This record gives sequence, structure tokens and C-alpha cells, in this order.
Amino acid sequence: MGKKLGKKARKFAKKNLQSVLKRRRKLKSMFKRKAASRRVGNEDAAEGYEKVKSELHARGNSDDGAILNDQLENLFVEDDDHLNEDVSDSDGYLSEDPECPYISESENEDDSRGQNKEIHLELAKQKRKLERLLEKDPKFAEFVESRRSDLDQTRSEEIYSDDEGNTSYLDGVAVRQSQISHDDKVLTGHTIDVWCWLVMEQPDGSGFANLLNGFHAASQYGINFDDNSSPRIPNRAVFSKILTFVLCEADGVFRRLLGVPDSCSKECILKLKSTPKWKTVRPLMKSYLRSSLFLLNQVTDSQILVFILSRLRASVIFFTLFPSLVGRLIKILVHLWATGEESLSSSSFFFIRDIASQLSSDCLDTCLTRTYNAFIAHCKFVEPTNLKHLKFLMDSVVEIYSLNIQKSYQKVLLSVQQLASILRQALKTKGKEELKKIHNWQYVNCLDLWVKFITCNFRDHDLQQLLFLIIQVIRGIAYLFPGPRYVPLRFKCVHMLNHLSLSSRVFIPVASLVFDCLEYRGNSNSDTMKRMQINFSSLVKVPKQFLKSRDFHEECVLSAVELLVAHFVQWSYHISFPEVATIPLILLKRFHEKTNVESLRRLVKRLIDQVEQNIAFIQKKREEVSFSPNDQASVECFLQLEKTGPPAPFTRYYSSILQNSWF
Amino acid sequence: MKDGENDTGVAKLTKAERRLKIKKSRREAKKLAEAKVDASKENLHSEVLAKVEEDLSAEELFAKKKIRLAEVGIALIENPEANIKSLKELLQICDDEDHNIVKLGLMSLLAVFKDIIPGYHIRLPTEKELEMTVSKAVQQTRLYESTLLRSYKAYLQKLITLDKQTTFHHVAVRCMCSLLDAVPHFNFRESLLANVVKNISSSDDVVRKLCCEAIRSLFINEGKHGGRATLEAVRLIADHVKFHNCQLHPDSMDVFLSLTFDEDLGKSESNEEKVKPKKKKRRQNQEGSNQVQGSDRKKVRQELMVKTREEVNADFKAISFAPDSEERRRMQSETLSAVFETYFRILKHSMDPSLSRSKTNAVAATGASGSQPLLASCLNGLGKFSHLIDLDFMGDLMGCLKKLAGYSDHFEGSSSESYLSVSERLQCCIVAFRVMKNNLDALNVDLQEFFVQLYNLLLEHRPDRDRGEVLAEALKAMLWEGKQHDMQRAAAFIKRLATFSLSFGSAEAMAALVTLKHLLQKNSKCRNLLENDAGGGSLSGLVVKYQPEATDPNLSGALASVLWELSLLAKHYNPSISSMATSVSSMASMNPAHNQVYLSTASPPQAFKDLSIERELFKPIGKPVSLNRKRTRGRDFVIISPDEVQKVENTIDEQEVQRRLEDHFMVLRDIAENERLRGELNHTLSSIKLYEEYKRQKKQRYTSNTGRRNENGEKVK
Repeated sequence: MGKKLGKKARKFAKKNLQSVLKRRRKLKSMFKRKAASRRVGNEDAAEGYEKVKSELHARGNSDDGAILNDQLENLFVEDDDHLNEDVSDSDGYLSEDPECPYISESENEDDSRGQNKEIHLELAKQKRKLERLLEKDPKFAEFVESRRSDLDQTRSEEIYSDDEGNTSYLDGVAVRQSQISHDDKVLTGHTIDVWCWLVMEQPDGSGFANLLNGFHAASQYGINFDDNSSPRIPNRAVFSKILTFVLCEADGVFRRLLGVPDSCSKECILKLKSTPKWKTVRPLMKSYLRSSLFLLNQVTDSQILVFILSRLRASVIFFTLFPSLVGRLIKILVHLWATGEESLSSSSFFFIRDIASQLSSDCLDTCLTRTYNAFIAHCKFVEPTNLKHLKFLMDSVVEIYSLNIQKSYQKVLLSVQQLASILRQALKTKGKEELKKIHNWQYVNCLDLWVKFITCNFRDHDLQQLLFLIIQVIRGIAYLFPGPRYVPLRFKCVHMLNHLSLSSRVFIPVASLVFDCLEYRGNSNSDTMKRMQINFSSLVKVPKQFLKSRDFHEECVLSAVELLVAHFVQWSYHISFPEVATIPLILLKRFHEKTNVESLRRLVKRLIDQVEQNIAFIQKKREEVSFSPNDQASVECFLQLEKTGPPAPFTRYYSSILQNSWF
Repeated sequence: MKDGENDTGVAKLTKAERRLKIKKSRREAKKLAEAKVDASKENLHSEVLAKVEEDLSAEELFAKKKIRLAEVGIALIENPEANIKSLKELLQICDDEDHNIVKLGLMSLLAVFKDIIPGYHIRLPTEKELEMTVSKAVQQTRLYESTLLRSYKAYLQKLITLDKQTTFHHVAVRCMCSLLDAVPHFNFRESLLANVVKNISSSDDVVRKLCCEAIRSLFINEGKHGGRATLEAVRLIADHVKFHNCQLHPDSMDVFLSLTFDEDLGKSESNEEKVKPKKKKRRQNQEGSNQVQGSDRKKVRQELMVKTREEVNADFKAISFAPDSEERRRMQSETLSAVFETYFRILKHSMDPSLSRSKTNAVAATGASGSQPLLASCLNGLGKFSHLIDLDFMGDLMGCLKKLAGYSDHFEGSSSESYLSVSERLQCCIVAFRVMKNNLDALNVDLQEFFVQLYNLLLEHRPDRDRGEVLAEALKAMLWEGKQHDMQRAAAFIKRLATFSLSFGSAEAMAALVTLKHLLQKNSKCRNLLENDAGGGSLSGLVVKYQPEATDPNLSGALASVLWELSLLAKHYNPSISSMATSVSSMASMNPAHNQVYLSTASPPQAFKDLSIERELFKPIGKPVSLNRKRTRGRDFVIISPDEVQKVENTIDEQEVQRRLEDHFMVLRDIAENERLRGELNHTLSSIKLYEEYKRQKKQRYTSNTGRRNENGEKVK
């Protein structure tokens, strides 16, 4: 039903409302995409893990466990089947109490605008013409009637292929008829006002059902004219009144009806099921939630969407009672989250997070899978324009995965292992195709995602195994892509390693990965070349023409300095800091001697000075202690006091560097 | 015809024949297909032929020639003695104008020769021998051999001339290489070798590979030719290198690595022979003294016997290709000297300052640098054969290596710009140490310079540019295997290696740590580095304070330092490294008297390999452990600040939403209205259109009616 009508609307819109349609098309295509194969997520996560594992073994290569499934998208397969099952049942209509008043009043607006007016005029003209013909020759009327039946038959066959907005005669008639037959059920502004008043006064009265029917009609407005049982909405004021009132008040009304406090756990909601009140409230609530979902699917304006989401979020706990709706809700939310603009995206995320944390663990599972998949699908391209959105998406995924580490850990581990196996394959073959699978944004972003996940949760959970694996993967990437062309990718790796090291407090040597940046020699007399802005943040691979440019060289050194400082600052209070800095310092000094770019000279000089200052500081402190390197406990205590005190010069230097960082 | 022959021949086919046949039939099929394609091209040719052989098209001619080739070939292999004359025919076929036939002919001849060439060198009878009357059998054999030899020579000449033509280059090289591989003992090896060596560094990958493989198999299967071919090949290559001024493909130098030298050959037998002559002499003396009294006749007879025996021996020696040990020793030493001559030439050439080398080479170089393609391979070879180097060369060689390792230009502060890559320089050091190790007693060369080199090269290592294995190998050769080190130097290296492992990846770090541990074990006094002595400089020598930037290990004052690195390395993400670091730092408590209690078994290269990224990633991943929660955390946000929620909620403006809802309604209504109106419009329009049809029908009806009426009227009339 929805489909058919949707088609009609589409047909119209294609001709007349390009911009509206564009958005809708995007939406539809999103929903249409279905995963091809069976899913694992349904089972218990650990079980799923074992299953995937065993599948991999069955596919051969059991010794190295090479995962052949190297498409990041296909890791967790979504299950759409159960979501569609109740899309079709649309018994949204609630039986109404006849006592509840409909106040008749003619307030149909007749302000046809623009194109519609023209068509209207044209129609009147043509109708007059037809009437004249009919008058002229009464026999013609008979002829028309007889031909009509033939015509309709053929028409019904070609209706879908017909590109012209050539709606059939019968449809037009039906629309008219339904309008006529429901003139008695027109919702006037007064009716609504009275209903609203009724509902606020006595929530368990019949007004609420009527109001919800109106809400349902409003949500279906413009789409479901065939639905004979719905009341008709005559004008915009009524439309917006119904929607805003129901959305604002429904949650409160339901809570009052059921006697549920504002903060209420999943368990206490589930208890309601056995109460007698539930029987009467259930259809009301279902209608409300379904209509809201329908609205979410139909509306394209982001502000309205944000409003609906924020209101609906209040009732999130009620979704526990309608598991079939939750799937649909998550699907819609994830779509809005991934594609919507800033406020819409974030409000969808908060909704998702509420679902994931407050509803059943199955919902959490669905959220985990869907958000991951949506993220992976959206992170294929990184441009300066979508950096912020991507970052938000990544943060949100981390948030949702951090809700229940016990549950998400298996998924994360599986994903990281998939990354590792892609890398392994590439290391083994060094084939162009395999390498391409790694130096793309999808892979890098996925890696970045889990790095963030680990850094956020390492303190509270035992993620040692995951940490080790991911460090190996990152180092492997840095090793696999040598040379100046992949400098941005390597920098990203170093950046990730620095993050991991900072959060986990393990030592990860990164200095050697940036050394060669201090040796690339850009073409120093490149004045003829026009200055090209290079932004590493949206690059994995440097275009060839940049390689020799001075900008590239400068950018390299700048980033290298930044990464080195980030590495140093972590250990700036460690007793072994002078040794950490020894080799980099020698190389930096050499660079300083040789470079002829004044800005870089200054930059590097400052770094050298700062490092030397810190070395002197540590060495002085070091002379005062008497313990030996094997006394780990004392080493840990070294300078702990200073660390908590006011920031040392080096820390201040780091924050100044950090200000103009691109990472 | 041919089929029948094949059928009869099936039973008798040897392996070679079968191979030949298969090859031929395959070729035939291919050629037939090609011939069809070429048919148009050969039309011209066939027109000329048409005058002579009118009935034969080019295709038929081709097929006929091929069949002839097959017949002759098979006949030759079946009974070489009887059909030896047909070699001539085969050779003639090779003069054909059709390129494909020529190629086929060459390949067939190759197969035939490989099959019928005897396992010995043919010596043509001298004139004197020819004069002698011999039996019929001998005569026949002589005829056979001389025919074989003559056609073989002609074949080779053909190959050599065809080698110069581009169309036949590949085929000719392939033929020569397989001949060299199959019959290196036979006559005319020299010209064969010369041509193969000529192509050894061809720019054509296929040709070069073929030639290198052939030479390599020559070196490996010395039994086939008794080593003579080896010597010739090595000499030829040496000349080749000289001629091309060392600018050859590295593959051509790598073949030397397949050479094997029998070390025992020289020593044991020379000892024996040293003893032998003495004994012989003594015996002869004894005999002589004994035989003084013997009769002259007896003496003459004895002398005759000795003489004949020697003659027979000489003949045998000439024919057999297993030379006696003395001969072999001579050849081996000549081979060696040719090899080393080549190596030294390359070394000298690398040092030649007149050659302009761009600085970029040093950066870009990975293994084979642009200007010195042969150096890496040469150093490999020197390393491999270092134990065979003549002592006289040794001093010279060490000088070269020292220079190459970059010592000379180091003090100019431009070590990074020296023209050899870091790996190559490390290799120089390794070779020097190998050479020294094998000739410890013989030489007394100061290796200090090499240590200085290594000490500084550790800083130059770039994991993605230089090969870590070479570094690990250098650590092994110079520090791990070496004898006792000077304490200053050992301490300097210990400190540097520890610092090194703080900056580099796990594999390099592990190699360094293994070496470090080994050094600490061997130099008990250096274990003071593990302890933070308040007093400090009890052991420090000339330099009181540690100078991390010093370039000379002896002047670094490392003895005054403390290995704080270990405390940080103990926090290394890689568990193997952190446990290694802990075990090293726990050595402090070891009794200083306890020397070499337990030497770690893994050598630096082994440690490097074990922790290399490839290896680490392929390690099986342990079963996912159940997750331990260290701390319970509420439902706090992890990254996103909760204020965001407020922010989002605050942006909602109900008035605005209402307005937008109204707009939305209008849009929806307009869509619906528009749709409805269009429906009606179309309906009306279609009705109007129907009117046309109606009118037409009415007209028809009208005309038919009037017609009928007319008819009726006529009837009425």
C-alpha cells in the first residue's frame, strides 16, 4: 500500500518537485539497501565469533587464519527480514467513541498556488469544452461511457510504465469520493481544541483515541487518501496543531494513564504488560509510536525531524513493549544519524544511545551492528568539508560501543582481526589490489575508530590483547608503505600510536617512523611552482606533483616535529627522557644545520632548545636519586610530584604546538 | 605417412624421443594455426613458388617441411650411426627463408644433438693416425665422429650468427644455454661459453635469466666437465666485467655465489704429495742402489714398462674428464684468483673518485644502487669466500673496505652523503670482520675504524629504507661473535644499543637488546652500567661525563652513564621486549665473578627475524580472553560531552517547528491537489479526444447509413 502510493507521489514529484524528491530518493535508496547474506549478530556474540572463526577455517588457510572476507562492510551483516514483516499492517485506526464531538465548520482553505492554479484554470477550460460537446451531442456521452471501460483496462496495465503524470480516471474519482464520504469527519480547528482540552482534563477519556486518529491521519497526510476510515485534515493550522500537541503531550498522557514515573527501568515497564490497564492503552500507544515512525520516514525538514526525535525520545522506554517497532526505529535513526546535518545527526545519536542503553540487549546488538555498518559505508571519502561530521560519527560509534564493553568487545576484536588479516594478505602478496585495500579511507578510518575505542576504554577494561594486535597492525601499515608518497598515511599511524601509548601508558617507539621526513629534500628553488596548499588531513597518498614541492617538504617537517613532540611529552617526566630524545636530537641538530628554509630552521631550533632544556632538567633530578634502573617501583615514582604540579615548560610548549595541529 | 611411422616407433621411443615428439606435435599444432593467420602474408611468397611447384600452396609447403624435419629427426635419434648424414639435411633446412621453419629446425637440431652427442670429447685422428690401416668398424666410427663434429660446428656457427639477429635472438640463446647445460664436456665449448657470457647481463630479462641459469648449472655440476668449464667461464666473466667497466646487471655477479670451492682438496692432498715424492725418491734411491747389481736387460725392460704405463696414463688422462687432484687444485686456484680479480676490480671501481655520483643515489639506493650495480653482489661474494682470500691481498682488501665503509669522509661531517647506502656500508664492515675472523692469526689489522663506523651507522638506520637484516648481521659479526672487547668500547656500544632500541621498531630493538645482553655477559665490569652509583666515575676513564653525541665510541664516556633505557623498555608494548629488558636489568644483581653463566642462544639476526612485522602478524592470535572489567563505570559519555544533548534540545524552537509543519502540510497538500487536478485534466482531455473518434465513427455510420439508405432507395425505386 505504502509502496503504491509512494510511487504515485514519486511520479508527481519527479515532474514537479525536484528538490523534495532528491532528498526522498536518498532516503529510499538507503532503506532499500539490504545485506546480501545471512547474519551472525543474532546469536550470542561469542558464538558468532566462533562461527566466523570456524567458517574461516573451513575456507582453508587455517594456519594463518586469513580472513577472505576483506570487505569491511560485510563484517557484520544486518538482518532486515524481521523489520519488514509488519510494515504492511496498517490498522492504525482506533475505534472512536461516538460521543466525542466533531464540530462541523467549513474552514477549507482554498488557496491553490502557482502551478496548481494554472492547472485549475486549464481544467476548467477543458471541462467547459467537454460539456459543450456533450450538450451538442447527447449520444456522445454514451460513447464515452462505453469507451471508458476499455480504456481503463489498458490503462491499468501501463500505469506503472507511464511516465506522464497520467493518473487514471478512477483514481481521481476515488479521491473525490473519499473526500465526499468523509466530509462528516473533517477535523476542524475547534474540534482539535476541544479534544486537546478533553485530553488534558481527563486523559483516560475517549478524546485521546480520536486525537491519535487525527495524529495518524496527519502522519499519513498526502499519501493515504484511500484510507477511508481516517478523518480528514482540512488546513495547515489543524495539521500542525495535531502534530505538535500529540508529540508534546503524548508521553505525559501515557505516563499518567499507566501511572509510570518519569524515570523508570525496562523491567518495571515490562511489568505493565500484565496489568488490566495495558489492554486499553496498548493500541493507543502503538498507534502513536507507529505514526511517529511514519512521520520520521516522511518528513524531510531537519528541524521538524529534530523536534519529533526529541519528543519521541522521552518515550523511548515504551518501545520495550513493541520490539517490532524498535528495529524500524533503529533503522530510521541510524540513517538520519549518518546522513543528517549537524543537529539532526546528534539528536539521532542521542536517541540511538538511549535505545542501546535502556532497551534490551538485542537492541544494543542491532545498534552496534547498524552504526558500525553505517559508519563504514560513510567513511569512504574524506574531504575537508566532511571531516567534522566524520569525527562526530566516529565518536558516536565509540560511545555506543563503550556502553557495554562485554558485549561489544567480541565485535571489536573481530573487526580488528579482519583488518589484520587484510594486512597480512597484503604483506604476503604485495599485490596492487591488496595494497589498495589498505591505503584507503575506509580502512584507515576503521582503524582509527578502534584506536579511539581502545584509548577511551583502556583505563577501565582489560584490553591488552586488542591493544597489542592493533599496534602490530598499525606498525605493519607503516612498514608496508615506505617512501614519501605515503607520508600522510604514516603520520596517521604515528598519531594513532601516540594516542594508544598515551592512554595505555605502554612505551611505543615511534621516533624511527618520522626520521626520514627530516631527510626528504624538497626542491628548494621551486619559486616558479605555484604554491599549492597541501592538507594532510584529507590525504592518504600524496599526489606525485607535490612530492618535490617545497610546501610538501615543509608540511612533512612540521608534522614530524608535532608527532615527535607528542611522543616526547608523554615521557617528559620519565627518568629515561634524555635517552628517548638522544637519537632524534642528533638528527634534528643535523637537519637544523643543513636546511635552508628559514621557517623550518626556527621551528626545529625551538624544539631542540625545549628538548635540551627538559633533558637538563631530568638529568639534574636524576643525579639526586639513588635507585637503579631495575627498581621499577621507584622509577614509577620519579617526578610524580612535579607531574601533578604546574605544567613544565615542555608541556606548555606541547600545547602551543598542538594549537595549530591538523590531526 | 608420419602417423604410421609414429605408430611403429611407439615401442622404441626413449624419453628424449618422446619429449621431442611431443614438442614437435605441439609446435606443429601451433604453427599450423599461425600459418593460417599468416596465409595472406605468404601469398606473395606462394606466387613465386607457384611457378616452380604449381600445386603447392605455402601452407602445404610448410607442413611438408615440418614433416620432413620430424622424419629426419626421429630417424637420427633412432639410429644415429646409420643416419648421421641427415644432419646435413637438417642444417640445410635451417637456411630456409621461413623464420618459423628455421626456429623449428634449430630446436630439432638441439634435441638431436643433446641426444646423440657422446659422453666424451672427440679428438679427430691425426694425419699419422689416418695413414694407419684400421678395421672397418674403426673407420666407420671415425667417419661418424667426424661428421658429427663437423655438423655440430656448423650448427654452432649458425647459432652464433643467428644470435645477432633480433628475430632469432631468443631461440639461439635458448639453444646455446641448453647445450651448455647438457654437454659442457664436448668440443667447441669455448665458443659456446663466450656467447653465453656475452649475454649474461643482457637487458632482456628472459635472455639474462637463461644465461645466468646456464652458467650457474655449469658451476654446480662440475662433474660434467671436470671444472675446466668453470675456470673458462669465470675468466670470461672477469673479462666481461673489465670490458664493461663494472656497469653490468647485478645478476651477472650473483652467479659467482654458486661457485663451490673444495677447501680440503688443497690441503690434504698437497700434504700427501709433499710426502710422496720424498718416499718415492727414497725408494728410487733404494731401488737404484739395489739394482746396481741387477742385469741391464732387466733394467731396460723395467724402464719400458714404466714408460708404457706413463703413456697409457697420459692418454687416459687426456680422454677422461676427471682430472687428477693436482690439476683440479691448479684450476681451482686459478678460478679463485679470477673471481677475486673481478671482485677487487669492482671494489676499486667503487672507490674511484673520478666517477661522479649524485648524492641522491645514497638516499634512493636499496640494495643495488645506480652507479654501483655490482657492489652489493660483490660484497656478498667476498663475505662468502672470505676464507679463501690470499693473504697477500688481505691488507689491500681491508684498506678498500675501510675506505668504502665511509671512514675517510666521516670526519668531514658528511657521512650521510657518502655515496654508498647504509646497508652497503654495513656490509663492508661485515665482510671485513668475516675476513679477519677467518685469518685471525695471520693478520694484525686494527679494526677500530670499523667499530667507529658501526657506532655511527646505528644512527643512520632507517627502517623503511635500509634492510634491518644487514644491521642485525653486522651486530652479530662485529659485536656478538667478536672476542673480548675493550671495556670503553663495550660500554659505549651497550649504551648506544640501549638508546637505539628506544627509537626503533621491535625487530631492530630486539636484535640490539640481544647483542647488548651478550656484551654485558662477556664484560662483567660493564654491568656497572646497570647500577646507579652515587659516586659514579669509579670506572670512567678519560671522559667523566657521558657524551651521547660523540662519534668515537672510545671517547663517549659511556662508562659514566646508567642504563635508564631499560626502565622504559620494560614498559614496551611488545611483551618479548619488555621481558628482555627486565631480564637485562636484573643482571645487575648477578655475581660479577659469574662470567658467561648462560649465553642467550638467539643471535641478533635470529632475534630480528623472530620479531619482524611479517612474523609477528602471522603469529596465531590467542583465543579471545574473557574480558575483565577493571573498574565499573556508569553510563557516562566517553568522548562526546553531555552538554551536547542540552545544546541540541535548546535549538528546538516550537514556533519555528509549527511554521515548518505548516509548510510541510502545504507541500503535501499541493502535491495531492496537483495530482488530483492533473488526473481530472487528463480525464477531460481524453474525453475530448474521444470526441474525434466518436465523430469519425459517426461519419462512418452516417455514410454506411446513407449508403444503406441509398441502396434501400434504389430498391424502393
